[in-house]
Parts: sequence; structure tokens; C-alpha cells
Amino acid sequence: MESRVFKPVLGLYVVLFVLFLYGPFVVLTILSFQQGPEGGPQFPIIEWSSYWYKHIFGLTPPSRVAPLPFGEALVRSLMLALMTMVVSTVLGVMSAQAFRRKFKGSGAVFYLIVLGMMVPGVLTGLGTSLLANNVVGIERHWYTTAFATHVAYTFPFAFLVMLAVLNRFDGSVEEAAWSLGVDPWTTFRKVTFPLIFPGVLSAMLFAFTLSLDEFPRTLFASGRDQTLPLAIYGTFSVEIHPNIFAFGVLTTLFSFALLSVYGILMGLSVRRAKKIAMQEEVA
Amino acid sequence: MTRWLLAPGIIWMMLFLVLPILMIVYVSFWTQTTFNISPDPTLDSWKQFFISDTYVGSLWTTVRIWLIVLACTFLVGYPTALFVGLFIKSKALSTILLVVCVIPFWTSFLIRVLAWRPMLGKEGAINIVLMKLGIISQPIEVLLFTELSVVIGMTQIYCVFMVGPIAFMLSRIDRNVIEAARDLGAGFGRIFWKIIFPLSLPGVVVGAIFVSVMVLGEFATSGALSGRKVNLLGNIIVTQVGSLKWAMASVVGVILTVVMGIVIAGFLRIVDLKREL
Repeated sequence: MESRVFKPVLGLYVVLFVLFLYGPFVVLTILSFQQGPEGGPQFPIIEWSSYWYKHIFGLTPPSRVAPLPFGEALVRSLMLALMTMVVSTVLGVMSAQAFRRKFKGSGAVFYLIVLGMMVPGVLTGLGTSLLANNVVGIERHWYTTAFATHVAYTFPFAFLVMLAVLNRFDGSVEEAAWSLGVDPWTTFRKVTFPLIFPGVLSAMLFAFTLSLDEFPRTLFASGRDQTLPLAIYGTFSVEIHPNIFAFGVLTTLFSFALLSVYGILMGLSVRRAKKIAMQEEVA
Repeated sequence: MTRWLLAPGIIWMMLFLVLPILMIVYVSFWTQTTFNISPDPTLDSWKQFFISDTYVGSLWTTVRIWLIVLACTFLVGYPTALFVGLFIKSKALSTILLVVCVIPFWTSFLIRVLAWRPMLGKEGAINIVLMKLGIISQPIEVLLFTELSVVIGMTQIYCVFMVGPIAFMLSRIDRNVIEAARDLGAGFGRIFWKIIFPLSLPGVVVGAIFVSVMVLGEFATSGALSGRKVNLLGNIIVTQVGSLKWAMASVVGVILTVVMGIVIAGFLRIVDLKREL
């Protein structure tokens, strides 16, 4: 390859690409320090201040800008994401476990599950709320109808992650346990699960973050009470203030914290696995 | 055993995915009056869709925006994927680069969309920078509240879904093949078109499916960045539901599903994914 010319050019391009990716976020962060309450969500920065951060937490004197309706919505979204995470990970592990053995109709089941990430969110949301309204006759809630659509969306991701993990899984340890007379459930709990745990963590992280930010599926299916993305969507139709940008910065920091916890747990479990492997070698 | 493991997942998807879609198909034939909807079968909503310029227009807008964004994400994403997947030899460095690309996704999708407004506006960051550099003397006004702003926004938001799969495919290419081609005297252009690009094609298809699925179902980006000038099928669904026109929303939903089905089936014809993965 003519990498002497090509590689630096391409490298420069990647730098520009990263700038393109981060541009809006940089601008958003800068504008979140706009002066308040008169400063708008645009340049120039009149005066740097942390006004809009205080505004989010209700620490500013009342002004014409209403505080964001995020408190309860945030709690609902976190609850919903937790519930979604647990259920879709359990479903994902179970289904992927089933796929380790060949069975009739596996192709159809595979596509049925993967369909969940293919169908546009607006449609699952719309269909579910139509069903709830007209057929079942129940009220829509974030913890019922919206929860159902969230799992239908995140379960395929959990399933694919677990499928990838179990594909690389060495089944001989399980066979060893079975041949020693350990029943299948105990084998799964004591042998298989600890070994696939890093994968399970990834599936959980996937499901949690997807659900936390999910909004087309929630829009119609969640009924009266708003989740966080819906509350943000609600601000689209009114005047935008830099408090939404400050909130964006805070949620990003929260996500980073979450990612760090994941990283630490991942590192620990990898270390533990190595330690066990070493002990076995010694023995 | 297999049956018990699969049953919960299958039941969930049947109840909360297949059934809702069937429900949309069913409701699209319901009779809609101004204040009410009743299950008497009729083709009225379907006829209304196809005689209305607004509705049919939104179908073409959706297809046009989808094609443009798809092309843009590919053109913007491929060189990056090429660098990350092929030119970077260190595994750690390429992982770091990919993580750098994924980090913006930790901001809420809707806030990411909103962030494009102070970027593109008349007094936005891009205009300020260009004017300070003396490249332009008048602010560019077409940047915001146009189709262009929707395309720019969607390209930035979705291009990473193109980069990931392509970079993955490129990183799996056996370097010896490239080495051998070069020893036989092939230039970089020839190596690229005869070896690298064809081998990366499955990644392109996976990326294209990701981008297509998301762009075709979009309504937030077009709503927020075009000032309601760009109406995709998704926007029509949202407005119809907003005015309680469930039947029309369902018609648009069915059409969106059909478009999506054709697109995905088309992509899967280009590359047999099951064989490649």
C-alpha cells in the first residue's frame, strides 16, 4: 500500500471526522454556561455562568423560564430501564441458550426475535397503544405498555450479544459437570453463568442504555406520565433555553459514570477468570 | 428443554411485536369520522392517502432523505472505517478510536438533535467560524430549517452505525492477501477495488441496514431541524395520532412497514449475511 502518502491523509480525515462527531456536543457544552436567565441557546456567550445548572436543580430565583419537568420523569425512566434490562437480559440468555442446540424452525425464531430491532419504533408504539385501547381495553402506562415495547426492542440486542458469547463458549466444562452428576440447573448456575457473566453484563448495559434513551416506542405507548426522553421531546415545541443543554451535559456525565462502573465490573470479572485459570494450572 | 427456554421470548415477541403490527394493518381499514373511529371495514383512508399530494409527497420525501443520508453516511464513514480497520495495526489504538466514535452516543438522542440548532443557525457556530476565517462575508442561511440541516443532522447521528460494521469487516481481512497482491505488482487503487472493497461489502450492508432502519422510522430530527418543512412518513404518523386520526396513522404505518421490508430484503439479496458471519 502507498501508505506513506495515504495513511497521513486518511489520519487527517479521521481527525476531521471526530470533529464532526463532537462539534455539536462541544457547542452544547459551551452554551450550557450561558448567562441566565436572559441568555439564549445561541452565540455569543454574554457572560459565563453556571446559572442553567442551578436552574435544573431549582436553585435559582423564580424567573420566566419554567424549570424542566425532569424530576419524576427521570425516576420513571430509570425504573423502566431497570425493568427492561432485567427482563430482556433474562429472555436474551434463555433464548441464546436454546440456540446452542440445533432445532427445527430456528431460522424463523431467529428472524422473529431480530424483527424487534428492525421494526420502526413509532409502529410498535402505535400498534401497542391501539391494541391496549381498542382490544384489551386497558389504560396505557410507562410500566405496562411502554415496558412491553421496550423489552421487544432491547431483547434482540441482548439475544445477539449472548449468541455471540455462547458461540465461543467451550461446552466441555459443562459436560464435565454433568458427568460428575451435577444437575443442569446447578451446572448453569455454578459453571456456565459465571463464565458468561461478562457477556451478560454487556447485554445488560445495552438494554439499559437503549431503554433509557428510547423514545419513539414510548411516545404513544406510555400514556399520561412522561418518561425522560418524552419530557425532553416536550421542550421541542416550546422555546428552548440553555437549561436543556446543561441537562444534556449532566446526563452525558451520568452515562460516563455508568460506563465506568461497567468497565470496573468487567475488569474485575476478567481478573477473577484469569486467577481461576492460574489456580487450575498450578493444581 | 429448548422449548421451555424459547417460549417466553417467542410469546413476548408475538404479543408485543407481531400482534401490534397486525393491529396496525387491521386498523388501517377502519372507518374514521371526525370524532370517532369504528371497526367497519373501508378503504377510505387508503384512498385518501393516495389522492393526497401531502401524503404521497411525504412518501417520496422519506425515500429521498433516506437515499441521501445513506449515501452521506457511507461516504463520510467509509474512510474512517478504512483507517480504523485496516491502517491502524495496533489493536488497542483501533479500539480506542472506536470508543471515541461511540462516546457522543452517551448524550440523549433528542439533545444531540437539538445541539445542531446552535451549530447551524444564522448566528450558529459554523457561520461564526467561517466568517471569522474570512471564508464567507454573509452568514449562510440555508444551513438551518431546510432539508440540508436534516441531512447534516442525520448523517452525524447515524454515521457511526456505518463505521462500526465496516471497520469490523476490514479488520478481518487477511493481510497476506493484500501483501500478495502488492508483490504481484498491483497498485493501491487496484488492491482496493479488487480485494478490500468487495471483502468489506458485508459490513457496508449491515451498516446500511442499521442506517436505513433508523432513518426510515425517523421523525424527531426532521421535526426539530427542518422547522416542519420536511415531513417524513414518521412525522405524518405523529401528527395523525396527535389529531386522533388512528386509521390514517395506521395506513402510513403499513406503508412505512412495506418500504422497510423492501429495503431490508433488497440489502439481504446483495449479500448473504448468514454465510458471511
